Amino acid sequence: MKRLLVFLVTLLAVTGKFTVSGAETTLEKISRTGALTIGTRTGSPPFAFVNKSNEWVGFSIDLVEKAIVPVIAKKIGKEIKVEKKESTPQTRIPLLTSNTVDLIAETMTDTQSRRDSVDFSLTFFATGAQFLVKKGSPIKGIQTVAGRRIAAQQGSTNARIIRERVASAKLLEFPDQPAAFQALAQGQVQAYTNDGIQLAGLKAKAPKPEEWVIVGEFYSYEPYGMAMRKNDSDFRNLVNIGLMDAIGSGSYFEIYDKWFGPKGEVPYPLAPETKRFLQMQVVPK
Amino acid sequence: MTYSFDWNVLWSGQSGLWLLQGLVTTIEISVIAWTLAVALGILSGALRTAAVAPLRWLASFYVEFFRNVPLLVWMFFWYFAVPPLLPQPLQDWLFEHSAEFWAGVFALGVYHGARFSEVIRAGIQSVPKTQLEAAVSTGLTMVQAYRLIIIPVALRLIIPPATSESLNLIKNSSVALTIGVAELTFQTRQIETYTAKAFEALTAGTLIYLMLCVTLATVMSQVERRFAIPGMIAKRQTGEF
Repeated sequence: MKRLLVFLVTLLAVTGKFTVSGAETTLEKISRTGALTIGTRTGSPPFAFVNKSNEWVGFSIDLVEKAIVPVIAKKIGKEIKVEKKESTPQTRIPLLTSNTVDLIAETMTDTQSRRDSVDFSLTFFATGAQFLVKKGSPIKGIQTVAGRRIAAQQGSTNARIIRERVASAKLLEFPDQPAAFQALAQGQVQAYTNDGIQLAGLKAKAPKPEEWVIVGEFYSYEPYGMAMRKNDSDFRNLVNIGLMDAIGSGSYFEIYDKWFGPKGEVPYPLAPETKRFLQMQVVPK
Repeated sequence: MTYSFDWNVLWSGQSGLWLLQGLVTTIEISVIAWTLAVALGILSGALRTAAVAPLRWLASFYVEFFRNVPLLVWMFFWYFAVPPLLPQPLQDWLFEHSAEFWAGVFALGVYHGARFSEVIRAGIQSVPKTQLEAAVSTGLTMVQAYRLIIIPVALRLIIPPATSESLNLIKNSSVALTIGVAELTFQTRQIETYTAKAFEALTAGTLIYLMLCVTLATVMSQVERRFAIPGMIAKRQTGEF
């Protein structure tokens, strides 16, 4: 038993060392491999999802390909391609720190505790948590969820807020949206809570969208950012410049319109204050 | 480009409590599922050696059907496909009383029952046929012979593979997080959510699984030594083959 412990401690120490070392910066890695590897999602329309023609697309992916990649390519002086890998709330930070991906571009909320582990770009989308319920449900918002069965996505900030604010709600956490929605459709839970925009995406994709309603005021603030490995400011700077240029030049709003406009995947008009907030993040050249 | 380890997250805040709750849930779901699995395993394992052909077919069908479909599919089956078949009041009652936990128990128990069944059948078939004949010739019925002679001997023979199977069951209970059961792996993810310290949380979970399984394996090897039948399964002693 003692020997086993010694062995384990040694193993931990060794793997610990391997994880923390890493000489190359992200830009050097991109330059060497000719590719920017992003971690993104397959089931979060319209940010990142696989569409009907089996292409992996979305708003977050477009921002990377149309706004960020050109800036990086210009900086390192060669063409780069984008490689996509699936990331989930549980795997995204390990994917970054293990160098498997260089940038998380999906629906990740920027939080203070996450900033202990990763760095974030500026905010590229802002939303808040609401509830998706069947039409006619007594649940109208966070004030009415006490004692109810509520589904949430595991690892999301909303689950944490519900647990802290409404301890009597029976919270069931699912690893992905389809499982949570299935539980809602069958009655295992009475509401599904997630960021409002994600619920809008889910509703738009549901077999009968008119059966579902999104209720409640935003009970949280969810600013989406793109996450990167810590302490790599050269790379982060380029990501931010890419986003700022897109917002400043207006191409961000064209991409927004493509996904959230009246004819987009999930119609979701940009609130004037959100637009103003995005523009205020752009610093002068 | 570094990851700074901060092991403090494991004992600051609620992390410790969550890990403990997760461990308790893992043990609960494993113990109940194990009981179900062993009961089903003994029954179907014995039936697979029965003289009546339809009983053998029934048991074979159970084993092949349940062990050849991935456990994850069974989790979704018991959680999403079974409740709509039940009457509405029962459904409502279930949903109010941890339906996900019981779906997890059934998924694990029925799946591992099929696997236990094979282990137990191997045990029964390794008992010399003459024992059954001797038992029956003393006037016992076939059921009595199985219950009093064959199965007790077989169960002692299969302790090593059954231990392996039990350890698998404990580890497979982590699949239940896909239907929202807050077991140990779920709680390690919870810690990751709150602290964004994935490596620390996973390491803690790994060590707890390891300790749980090593403890069980140690206990089982004691049990094996205690119940060994001389001449049928070797009592392990130092310097002896």
